[in-house]
Amino acid sequence: MSQIPGQPTPSSTPASAISAASTAGGPQQETVHHHPRKAKKKSTSTNMELNMTSMIDVVFQLLIYFIITSNFVPGEGIIQATMPAGTGSAAEVPKLEQPIKIIVSARSGRTGTGYRLDVDKSAIAPSTFGDLGKLLEGMREDKGGAFSAENPIVIQPSGDVRWQHVVNAFNAAVKARYKNIAFAQATGGEGG
Amino acid sequence: MARTKKRIDGDLPKANLTPMIDVTFQLIIFFLLVNNIVSAESVSMLVPKLYDPKVVELGEVKRLVISIVPAEDPESRKTAADALMVSGDAIKVQLGSSLVYDIGNLDDLVAQLKESVARDPEIQVLMRADAATYYDRVQPVLAAITSAGIKTVNLVAFLPDEGPENLIAK
Repeated sequence: MSQIPGQPTPSSTPASAISAASTAGGPQQETVHHHPRKAKKKSTSTNMELNMTSMIDVVFQLLIYFIITSNFVPGEGIIQATMPAGTGSAAEVPKLEQPIKIIVSARSGRTGTGYRLDVDKSAIAPSTFGDLGKLLEGMREDKGGAFSAENPIVIQPSGDVRWQHVVNAFNAAVKARYKNIAFAQATGGEGG
Repeated sequence: MARTKKRIDGDLPKANLTPMIDVTFQLIIFFLLVNNIVSAESVSMLVPKLYDPKVVELGEVKRLVISIVPAEDPESRKTAADALMVSGDAIKVQLGSSLVYDIGNLDDLVAQLKESVARDPEIQVLMRADAATYYDRVQPVLAAITSAGIKTVNLVAFLPDEGPENLIAK
């Protein structure tokens, strides 16, 4: 708007004047070399911008989805078990030592979840795994019992007992600080 | 005076959203990766929850995870009154994140275990089985581990104060 039409700048060279005369045959409109104030202001106010809002919407949806669907595995740990050399562990036990046999059986077959405990070297049958741990500890030599900590312990579960109870019995023996604990073949409860 | 007037009729104040988007994308990528890694490595199950557990955390060692895949979906049992009140059947055994064996025929598992142990004698063998699994489904796997010549196996159970409360822990 501030350009003055039809008025060449005084700085135009003679060469450009000749070429302009040969092509258009009249006075040429030259570039105005100063920036008019209004035009400059317009160019800064309309600089390019990405509209981020919709992308953020999508991204947050994704984030919430993954936060909800990711379920972290609760902390799992391990108890180390030494395996007997053969498959049938009871046969591998040295004859000099009498293994303590912990019998774990299911209270009501495959449908139930209960358990029943028995220790073959003890007259008392423990009713819980806490009792089993105490009983096994009392059977150790240093607690007035007849068995050393190296004495083998064989866990003898029936086939229909839940793994939870088997590991609990194992845990009780570990807690009573026996070092030689083995699992025996499943007895009974087969084919159900 | 002039500034305030310009703000009202002209540009609104704008928040710079770039750092927030950066952080959000990082979070998305984190959850994506964690999800995939966890689901590939571990078969979904409820491992035993013990009374007064002597369970320890296994540190950063090379491990070989043998999972006995439970027949029942463990998700439905997390809210049940008794998490053991399901069939304890199992059909398949998974080694690592991809190898699957039939529980009735574990000869291939024995061969694979022998190979893995020969390649890395220091490897720790972990055995994961659902708390509700019947012992006669676990015992063949224990026998297979033994016949592969592995002396110690790590039985997996919940750490103290972890795992659902409805798993009997008496």
